[in-house]
Amino acid sequence: MAQAYFFFWRLVLLTCLLSPLTASAGIIVNPDVEGHSISIASLRNIYTLRQTLWPNHQPIVVFVLPDDHPAHVTFAKEKLGLYPYRLRQTWDRMSFSGMASAPIQVKDENEMRARVRATPGAIGYTSKDMVYDGIKTLRLE
Amino acid sequence: MTASRRLGWNSLLLGSLLAVSPVQADELVGPRYQIQGFAAQGLIGSTNNRFFGDSRNGVSTEFTEAGLHGTWQALDAVRLSGQVLYRRAGESDHDGLRVDYAQADWQFYQTEVSQLGLKFGKVKLPYGLYNETRDVPFTRSGILLPQSVYVDNSRDLLLAAPGAFLHGASVQEYGAFDFLLGWVRPNFDSPSVDYSFLGNTRPGKLEGKGALGARLRWDLPTDTTLMLTYANARAEYAPGSSDTLAAGKVQFRNILFTVQQRLDTVTLTAEYGEPRFDTAGFGPFLPNSHRVIQSGYLQGEWRFLPAWELMLRHDIFYRDKHDKDGHLFAATTGLPAHSMFARDTTLGLRWDTTPNLMLRAEFHHVDGTGWLPGPDNPIFLGREQRWNMWLLQAAYRF
Repeated sequence: MAQAYFFFWRLVLLTCLLSPLTASAGIIVNPDVEGHSISIASLRNIYTLRQTLWPNHQPIVVFVLPDDHPAHVTFAKEKLGLYPYRLRQTWDRMSFSGMASAPIQVKDENEMRARVRATPGAIGYTSKDMVYDGIKTLRLE
Repeated sequence: MTASRRLGWNSLLLGSLLAVSPVQADELVGPRYQIQGFAAQGLIGSTNNRFFGDSRNGVSTEFTEAGLHGTWQALDAVRLSGQVLYRRAGESDHDGLRVDYAQADWQFYQTEVSQLGLKFGKVKLPYGLYNETRDVPFTRSGILLPQSVYVDNSRDLLLAAPGAFLHGASVQEYGAFDFLLGWVRPNFDSPSVDYSFLGNTRPGKLEGKGALGARLRWDLPTDTTLMLTYANARAEYAPGSSDTLAAGKVQFRNILFTVQQRLDTVTLTAEYGEPRFDTAGFGPFLPNSHRVIQSGYLQGEWRFLPAWELMLRHDIFYRDKHDKDGHLFAATTGLPAHSMFARDTTLGLRWDTTPNLMLRAEFHHVDGTGWLPGPDNPIFLGREQRWNMWLLQAAYRF
């Protein structure tokens, strides 16, 4: 009973805390990527594999969470304005025809942060717009 | 796709495939290669005619597709990619395992949002929306693609061929542009191509002489895609022993128009073309001909739930635009008129059970036998005009 009570309040607390945060999912990049902001158009071009280089001509390495991961669904719909299945269609069309490499899929947000931190030119996203050690957060223009 | 987790297995496989030394195993850094693949099995049942196996008297299990695709970014500007494909489609395709394509792509000009490159090798042929990934079940709009445009009958022609393509892409304010322009030597030498171009399997050999291909794609900011594909292919016939045909020539030309509009969860697609098909010099048993084919379809897809999609399509195919109902053909040859057309109404359901597993069901009501696979229905007079077909498919990806 006490446990259920505690769980309920934790849920309420979590909902209050997370809802404004999940709405502002963070765009993260490797610290060697120049700049502090990115335009929505540019972000969409990167995730639809149309933009493959950063402005300083460094190759972009794109990381994604699984198609059904809540943070991916939120990111795709709110930041890119695309349904996850449409993104997948684009990646499949480009990759299976040999025209581009599909984004690299990681299993969770911990791996996302670790891989973005370790990979030069990397871009990814997390559900919380927070500051992490060794990762740069980009502001969305 | 999940490259890092399969690193050991991948390096081994890619190492033997491309004969490169195993890639540096830094688990965290983005890898310079990717391996992905799929396997799919279909079940087909039909009335009156057969499709991919003996689907008429029972359930055909002879529709199997599996592929392994690899990409290796050898240099910043050079990418190697290829696909090994296994395919079984009734009597129409039992070649089993084959190299689908193997190409090198040199991107000699790159800016932030523009690329210019040259790809060569055994390259995928650009043709409409779906051709380059036509054997990857997840990328199709149904278990079967619209047969008017993506005729499985002459698929060998359209798949991939030795040659080279110049390609470019650029993102501008008013949309994204892509183009491909190239020359290939397509493969005409297969029984099903003989069927669709020469009316039957023949003892001789149709040899591809070269084909010009081009495609322009414009993705507008309004979520609209407009596309033009041009193809011009020639082949020459080398008669076999005791052949009734002389050394003739065939030519195939087409401009294919594509329009797609994406509206929230709905996707509307139309493709239309009037391929010109000429035969000449085959002698008295195959008179010279000039035909204008008419082919096209309208298709709607609706993602009514995140993992569920409904598809409705109407597909038309007329082997001779000037003899749509085939009466003239029937009067001059004595063969059934319904082989000159096919009108197919399709209803399909897709369920992405998990991100790796897709299940599909599809129903076709077809009037006409215009694209009915010849090898599965060898008795011309035994084919029937009206027929139905249902298909189920399970497809797995990794």
